[in-house]
Amino acid sequence: MSDQIMKASTSSEGASTQVAVGRVTAERERAKAIALRRRFPSNLLTGLIYVYLVIMVVFALFPIYYVVQASLAGGQNLYTTDLKLLPSNPTFDNYIYAFTQLPLLNWIANTFFICAMTTLIGLAFSVTGAYALSRFRIRGRDLSLNLLLAIQAFPGLLALTAYYVLLNKLGLLNTLVGLVVIYAGGSLVFGCWNMKGYFDTLPVELEQAAMIDGATPTQAFLRVTLPLAAPALAASALFMFIVGWNEYALANLVLNSNTAGTNLTFVLGLYTLQSDFRTPWGYFAATSVVVSVPLIILFLYAQRFFKSGLTIGSVKG
Amino acid sequence: MLKVSRGTTAAYLAPMFITIALVSGTPIVYTLYLSLTNLSLFNDDYTLRGLGNYQKLFFATDSDLLYVLGQTVLYVIICVVLFLVVGMLTALALNNRKIKGQAFWRVALLVPWAAPSAITALIWKFLFNYDFGPINQIGRVFFGRNFGVPWVTSPWWAFAAVVMVNVWLTYPFFTVVILGALQSVPEELHEAARVDGANAWRRFFSVTLPLVRPAITPAAILSAITTFQMFNTVFLITSGGPTPDPSRPGFTEFVMIYMYNRVVGANVANVHYAQIAAFAITVFIVLGALTFFARSLGQQRTRRKEALA
Repeated sequence: MSDQIMKASTSSEGASTQVAVGRVTAERERAKAIALRRRFPSNLLTGLIYVYLVIMVVFALFPIYYVVQASLAGGQNLYTTDLKLLPSNPTFDNYIYAFTQLPLLNWIANTFFICAMTTLIGLAFSVTGAYALSRFRIRGRDLSLNLLLAIQAFPGLLALTAYYVLLNKLGLLNTLVGLVVIYAGGSLVFGCWNMKGYFDTLPVELEQAAMIDGATPTQAFLRVTLPLAAPALAASALFMFIVGWNEYALANLVLNSNTAGTNLTFVLGLYTLQSDFRTPWGYFAATSVVVSVPLIILFLYAQRFFKSGLTIGSVKG
Repeated sequence: MLKVSRGTTAAYLAPMFITIALVSGTPIVYTLYLSLTNLSLFNDDYTLRGLGNYQKLFFATDSDLLYVLGQTVLYVIICVVLFLVVGMLTALALNNRKIKGQAFWRVALLVPWAAPSAITALIWKFLFNYDFGPINQIGRVFFGRNFGVPWVTSPWWAFAAVVMVNVWLTYPFFTVVILGALQSVPEELHEAARVDGANAWRRFFSVTLPLVRPAITPAAILSAITTFQMFNTVFLITSGGPTPDPSRPGFTEFVMIYMYNRVVGANVANVHYAQIAAFAITVFIVLGALTFFARSLGQQRTRRKEALA
């Protein structure tokens, strides 16, 4: 590049009759060279960014891809020390086995029941509490909000012994309802803070107007405020739902597997599959795909609501 | 404020507060009480003993507290630094307007966030398997038949494995937070810095970083707290092991796993409920302090914003 510029400039100096023309060409050449030099590093940078993105996508998707292809590998194909990224004879045997021989449907039903009940109770109790803390005159409101936050710092796992004693006294040990009580109770603080933050952004004048028109406070809450708070409700509900879908330690404490293993959640069930002497990876992979793919789709679809529905970060003290 | 009767207020608040008191309050009080007794599996007839358990926890030479806290804090620091670096690089890449196919990159890079973490932990355990796991299989393609990384069985490799899985799980959250902040940085500022002759490096550290820092700080503290409390992922992959020194807890036995193994663990001869309760209360105080620290930082930020407005 610089050679060209030099050549252009010497030729323009040498030819005295064509000075003007030569200078124009030289300048054009120089401009071209500078543009090239500028574009070159930015092209390189763009290329590097693509390389980075490809590496990250491989990192992000490899576990998911691998488990999907493993679920399609039949028999002993997975017990090899050589790398295989595609199953040689894809079959649905693992899925058929998971649905017919494993209590997979029981696990899904149990988990779904726990998650749905947790969400229902958690939402109902925290939305009313959050509304009262946002709208009603309450003595010691700031104190109770801070107290809730302090309680939240005590994660359920730290209370293993206490939960065991508590559920034993209530007669809820080894029942799904026992787990619902723990999960729902544990999700209330998050729900309350999140929804109170959202209610605070809605103008109280709406309810005041409704009450002037003769609505009771509860009618104003149910008919006016609640529909407006739908994004916050949806975001809170999703987070409450996922708790039960993901939890291992407390579920393991509360639920004792019966001989057939039909009373477990599927995280527990999957773990019993893994802890066998020889892990049946194929069945494990098929089961994982069945229970995680719907959730991934739900989550990716719902994440657009998070921006408007999650207020935790912007809660004013 | 709405004017309502006391009865209405009570009816709205009661279900929430009674449930929280029962499910979250009583365990705290009960654990606090237990921490002052001498209850163990073989000592059913327990009495109040004062602060002996705490004294033992803090001052006894064979106390595990410092080791477990140290391993946990090391894990938290390494993880949060990696969240920030990977999240920032990914957000910067996605914020570059020359990159085509944004919709694809954004969805693909969010998938780890959407996948249920307990199940992906088990999938990762499978990937780390010494003989049949694909990570070692890929290594064998490049480095020959005898290659094998002892994930899970060698202390630092196990540590690296659980760091890697946590980064995989959490970087999408940071990408989303940082990307949101990056998009609110006005383009004119970059233009102005460029005109003043600042190179890309300088523009990043003097313009971009100060402007996105308010969004990053709470996310970093929040994830530090959740990483501190992390149980599922690490327990399902390493169960807290390996244990290079038998007189010490396992190398990846972070606070929650330590507690869990001491109460529910398979090889526990005698469960010292009272001592574990004292451990739990200590962890609770550390976490509570962190939470309030995070909150006061958040409040400072809103106050500063209000002062500017």
